[in-house]
Amino acid sequence: MILEIQGLTCGYGKLPVLRDVSLSIGAESVALIGPNGAGKTTLINAVTGLVKPWGGSIRFDGRDVTGHATHEIARAGIALVPQERELFPGMTVADNLALGAAYIPRAQGREERLLEQCLRLFPILKERFRQIVGTMSGGQQRMVAIARALMANPKLLILDEPSLGLQPSIVSEVFDRLSELKKDVAILVTEQNVKESLRSVDRGYVLENGAVVLEGAASDLAKDPHVEASYLGL
Amino acid sequence: MANKRNRTAGLVLAAAVLGILVWRPTVLIYGLQAAGLYASIAIPMGLILGIVHIVNLAHGEFMMAASYLTYTICRASGMDPYLALLPVAAVTAAFGFLVYRLTIRRALKAPELNQLILTFGLAILLTQAANLLFTSQTRKLSFEYVSASVDIGDLSFGVYNFVFVAIAVAMVVGLRLFLTRTKAGKAALAVGQNPRGAAIVGIDVDRAYALTFALASAMVGLMGAVFITRSSIFPAVGSPFTMKSFCLIAMAGIGNIPGILASSVLLGVSENFLKAFRGTREWADIVFFVLIISVILGRSIRGKKA
Repeated sequence: MILEIQGLTCGYGKLPVLRDVSLSIGAESVALIGPNGAGKTTLINAVTGLVKPWGGSIRFDGRDVTGHATHEIARAGIALVPQERELFPGMTVADNLALGAAYIPRAQGREERLLEQCLRLFPILKERFRQIVGTMSGGQQRMVAIARALMANPKLLILDEPSLGLQPSIVSEVFDRLSELKKDVAILVTEQNVKESLRSVDRGYVLENGAVVLEGAASDLAKDPHVEASYLGL
Repeated sequence: MANKRNRTAGLVLAAAVLGILVWRPTVLIYGLQAAGLYASIAIPMGLILGIVHIVNLAHGEFMMAASYLTYTICRASGMDPYLALLPVAAVTAAFGFLVYRLTIRRALKAPELNQLILTFGLAILLTQAANLLFTSQTRKLSFEYVSASVDIGDLSFGVYNFVFVAIAVAMVVGLRLFLTRTKAGKAALAVGQNPRGAAIVGIDVDRAYALTFALASAMVGLMGAVFITRSSIFPAVGSPFTMKSFCLIAMAGIGNIPGILASSVLLGVSENFLKAFRGTREWADIVFFVLIISVILGRSIRGKKA
């Protein structure tokens, strides 16, 4: 297992958001689906150390990383593409991508190869290489954020709502790219766009009110009556 | 955009400077010297504001403390302040690091008002500590080289204060190299733009903040050592510099460190312009307020249009 979460409880202030969540990811791609406010982003924030877990354990690559600082988790091999992208707006695409690799031991000495891979995946970034990121469109910034995460040569890539605010044609493009990636990297993706995400991942978890209510192979989940009724609008 | 703004400001300044140069050369000379002093004190504060996003209201007091430290060392050993410069900078760097670790770090996520109260409290603490240790009597070290002067034709002026211009320029160039060429500097720059994004790419944000704070404290400590070569010191000597520094940074725009040079020149030259005439001499202190009000007013009017 690359990521193993057991009995995770977490929240903000006194308000609990996640209740006893267990989840595991091997060499595969996994979707985390659920409505707004179900706790998808909180789960990701707990894994990446952006919020401190209240209880339970998170193991990554055989090591306990529960409650570790975000930069330590990043250096261990988890790369995050946050919902809000969290890029460096005043810097160029080139600088943003370089920073993706600069502080990650796993990426040292491979920067050129990683950069080549990113530019092959997102050719538009090659054209915009010297552009200031803050002046780019939301969709392009999303691509920069994904590329920046890949520059870390991660073992696990986490994408929080990668299709948010993107036009549908770009959404399927992003998912096409993700299916290319999953050969090399384990992927955890949260999505409200359940149809697209279940098509391109191996397995899925359904999170509702801070608890896992369903899990299974993506093809089974797509046929599940509860998922069909709640998320696929059938 | 900041570059374009700097260029226009530069052009306007150059034209004004040329006019004054022909008419009253000393206005320009003393104006530049004052600008060097203002800028070299404001730049470290601008560094903290640009990267840690904290207004350090104890900034001038850090310098005052460094001046007293230099005074004590030089009095005890007979050493020149320029020899004490590096040890003093090392002590203030350590002091800045401790202040960050023990206080600032705990207020990073607090509301801005709490941060202001915290650093304001530090300022009072430092001033009163100096009062207790050294009393409110002014202290001075005298050196002959301070009164060095130069005659060009029938014009005679002191040149020592140009040392501040050199320090200010060296600070801007040095910081630029640090922030764009070194690993720690690039990390600090990234943290300044987006701390959350920096943590995600594996940068230790807390370490970058501590380093920035220590570096800025070292710079202002160095200024404290140089400051005492030309001015007498007393416990409240730093506080006007806190305010002037903050306003110079606000005029330049937060994060625009070369812009601090330009705004300092504007302030220094206009102050000395008024000082050059008997009738307006007492008005020199008001320039500062006129400039800051008009810059902020201008910016908010432009902001409303955009």
